[in-house]
Amino acid sequence: MLKKLCATVATLGVLASPLQAGDLSGMSWDGIVAQAKEEGKLTWYVWYLQDDFRRAMKSFEEEYGISVTIPDGNNAGNAEKMLAEKDRDTGDIDVFAWGYDSFETVELSALFKSLGTLPADDGRVSKLAGVDGGEHVLAFWGNQSGIAYDPAKVSAGDLPQSVEDFAAFWAANPGKFGFNYEKGGSGPSFYQNVLRNVAGTDFTNGEVSDERLAGLKPGFDFFNKHAANYIITASNVDNINRVSDKELWMAPAWEDHLAGLQNRGEVRKEIKFYIPEMGMNGGGNGVAIPLNAPHPAAAYVFVNWLTSPETQTMFNRDFGTAPMNAAADDSAALVPNAQRAFRQPWGKQPFRSKVEEAFVDNVILER
Amino acid sequence: MNHAWLNSMLMAMVVGIAFIWLAIPFTMAVLWSLVDPVEPWTADKLLPPTMSFYRWTDMWENSSLKSALVSSYTLAPSAAILALSLAFPTAYALGRISFPGRETAKLLCLLPLVVPPFITAIFFSSILFQLGLNTWRFGAIVFAHSILFLPYAIRILTVSFEQVRQDHIDAARDLGASPFARFRVAYLPALRPGISATLLIVFIQSIEEFAIAFIIGSPDIVTIPTLLYSALGQDFVRPNAAVLSLILVVPNVFLMLILERLMKTANPALLSGKG
Amino acid sequence: MIARKWLLVLALLTPGLGLILLLIGMVVYIAIAQSFGFYALRGDSAFSTEFWSEVLGRKLFSKAVRYSIYVGVWSAVLSIALAYPLAIWLRKPFPGSIGIGAILKAPLLVHGLVAAFLFINVISYNGLLNQAMQGLGIWSEPRRLQNDSNAIGVLLLQTWKNMPFALLLLAGAVQSISEDVLDAARDMGAGSWARFRKVIAPLTVSGMQAAMVIIFIGALADFTFQTTVGPTNLQSMAQLMVSFKVRGDWHSAAVVGVSLMIIALVGSAVLAVVARAVMRGRIR
Repeated sequence: MLKKLCATVATLGVLASPLQAGDLSGMSWDGIVAQAKEEGKLTWYVWYLQDDFRRAMKSFEEEYGISVTIPDGNNAGNAEKMLAEKDRDTGDIDVFAWGYDSFETVELSALFKSLGTLPADDGRVSKLAGVDGGEHVLAFWGNQSGIAYDPAKVSAGDLPQSVEDFAAFWAANPGKFGFNYEKGGSGPSFYQNVLRNVAGTDFTNGEVSDERLAGLKPGFDFFNKHAANYIITASNVDNINRVSDKELWMAPAWEDHLAGLQNRGEVRKEIKFYIPEMGMNGGGNGVAIPLNAPHPAAAYVFVNWLTSPETQTMFNRDFGTAPMNAAADDSAALVPNAQRAFRQPWGKQPFRSKVEEAFVDNVILER
Repeated sequence: MNHAWLNSMLMAMVVGIAFIWLAIPFTMAVLWSLVDPVEPWTADKLLPPTMSFYRWTDMWENSSLKSALVSSYTLAPSAAILALSLAFPTAYALGRISFPGRETAKLLCLLPLVVPPFITAIFFSSILFQLGLNTWRFGAIVFAHSILFLPYAIRILTVSFEQVRQDHIDAARDLGASPFARFRVAYLPALRPGISATLLIVFIQSIEEFAIAFIIGSPDIVTIPTLLYSALGQDFVRPNAAVLSLILVVPNVFLMLILERLMKTANPALLSGKG
Repeated sequence: MIARKWLLVLALLTPGLGLILLLIGMVVYIAIAQSFGFYALRGDSAFSTEFWSEVLGRKLFSKAVRYSIYVGVWSAVLSIALAYPLAIWLRKPFPGSIGIGAILKAPLLVHGLVAAFLFINVISYNGLLNQAMQGLGIWSEPRRLQNDSNAIGVLLLQTWKNMPFALLLLAGAVQSISEDVLDAARDMGAGSWARFRKVIAPLTVSGMQAAMVIIFIGALADFTFQTTVGPTNLQSMAQLMVSFKVRGDWHSAAVVGVSLMIIALVGSAVLAVVARAVMRGRIR
């Protein structure tokens, strides 16, 4: 047993080579669909809105006769499972959903199958939020960050739009605005856009250099100057909860996250959402198929369905997301289209990570 | 000082503090579990605006709650018993035999506790997968949990073994008792509190452990922490979490009372002197 | 020590410590290797000390270390300090002692995550505590108690959750003290404090050490309480580790993880020695 253990530890150090795409690549799409129906079931790991997704699976199950299991879990647990299983011959995960920026933290070709086998569809999105999923990841869920506000406290005409407006709001209403810097992207979207506006840095350039980081100083000074007037919260959901509990008047939030919580009766329905003119980031989630998926054909068919125009239109209608297929219909969105013009892409890596680290060092630790 | 009077005073104090410490959070949990989804309960209202048992019936019927209860409540006792068995010989050695390097050995026993959770989650599970233990998921989780919580078992039992009285052992041996009888009379009374404490602590730790049970068990075996993290992780669905935590508490309370009785009836001081 | 005794000791240690060293030892090896650049989940694996030098050089890291140790030590000390008197009080059964014992140990049964959310409910801005304080006229307006910068919230929760564990261990230890020893001490004129200091404390050192060390390690590596009720201008080591992992910097995360392991082991050894010295009045 000792020998086997040592061999195990040694092989864990080497990432699996992508030679398993094999069994399906020679087949036609109809062949794949037929095999999928034979496989008969698949497991989709997604960490949010599991109950709502289970309901949304009905049309897929009826069309193909393939049953979809969506296990309970959370983001960290799902990701750890995916990583822990990478050396197994056959895993448990057929389709794996993750935030687009999280996909960037791993070696895609070593973990996931190539999605080139899917029938051609130019409307599909592989590059999102500054991250290129290449052949391995397709976006299925687009979201937009903005500011959630309590209309009883702030009227629509007084909403801060620019950085100066926010500073004025903070000065007039100290302690009524809060944002998070970790455990969620809504706060980071807010502070990174403020930094971009104040310091004039180009976030589409991912290069890291001391001068570029030093150039952010005016932004950090801005936050430090007003430090007493805003608070730092714990997470995405903490922002929304505190607005719902009437402690805060405004806080950054994700459009779909807020809508989901309102629909389920977790937070007050009166809370509204807007995208300020200074810009806030849009992002999204993607799906990929692990190399050792137990039902690969069914997984392909499912990803094809998930990213199709019809399904994306359904998501837009039911969840308020930005559709991830160009041919889909996005008229049911929650935010007026005029505001979507203020959507910004996330900063490119690795510059963005350095900005986040510098923000913690220069602003959070100085409080 | 009058002991009876002092006891009553202290009891009143404890009950008073327990009210704040326990009753208030639990009452709030009960109220949260009754929140009807029609209207959220915001902090400015003393009671939820609309109350119903919707959450309870919904969770009971729709989620994997029933299978999670069965899984968790069979996994945890099994892990406790396995941990106890594996820890026994080691605790005996650490508690009763003096050998060079004993303090270091005691320290090394803490290793599973000090390794950061996500490293354990990913790499320990990987190792278990490679060893082929996952064909029997239940057994693999029991084994993984018992290894993870061995430090508790070893430490608690070591303390108990140290408390076994040498004169009892000697007397039993001198009277010609068989090894088993020696164990029963000399060791067991001092060990009983340690055994109960070990079973209780490992049981509780196993029932709360999320990562490894999820990685190895999902999707076939669902445990209660999986449901809890699902509800409280991303979206902080407080009502669902309240239902889960209340369902968790009730069987645990009974277990606790049973173990209290077991420990009280095994007071070793009663066997020695005048106690 | 003769060979036969060694064989016996090794045989006894194998199912417990042996399994731990074998399986968890491998995980520790992987963690250390990852901190030096191996086991890369992105990019190539290559030996490098740059992760160590970079992480150790950051102000964030040293602050996190100090903060985590602060939480670890205080949680352990507070839990033990509260548990001792209770264990002594409950030593001999009296009417209602089983019930009291159960009430005191109840927090053991509550999942940490649940405890955190219940706690937030009570201390939130418009929550119960604020409303009570305003109702009683002590405060004129709600105060922001969540995420306070002295980590009182974290310490409260840690003590709430860990004191019953300490009570469990100390109760067993205290009960094993034979009555004649205490009676003899009382007959010789020792007061309550002297009886505690000279009789109970030295005889229960082992149990107290075990409780202290286990609570310290748990509180040192705390993530859940810190990220829900902890101060937002400080990071615990576990929080720092996860923040590296989330950005894909697995190696720096491993560096923090290995540091956490070292501090936990060294801290436990130190605490055990200090506890023994204080309780016994001497080192051995």
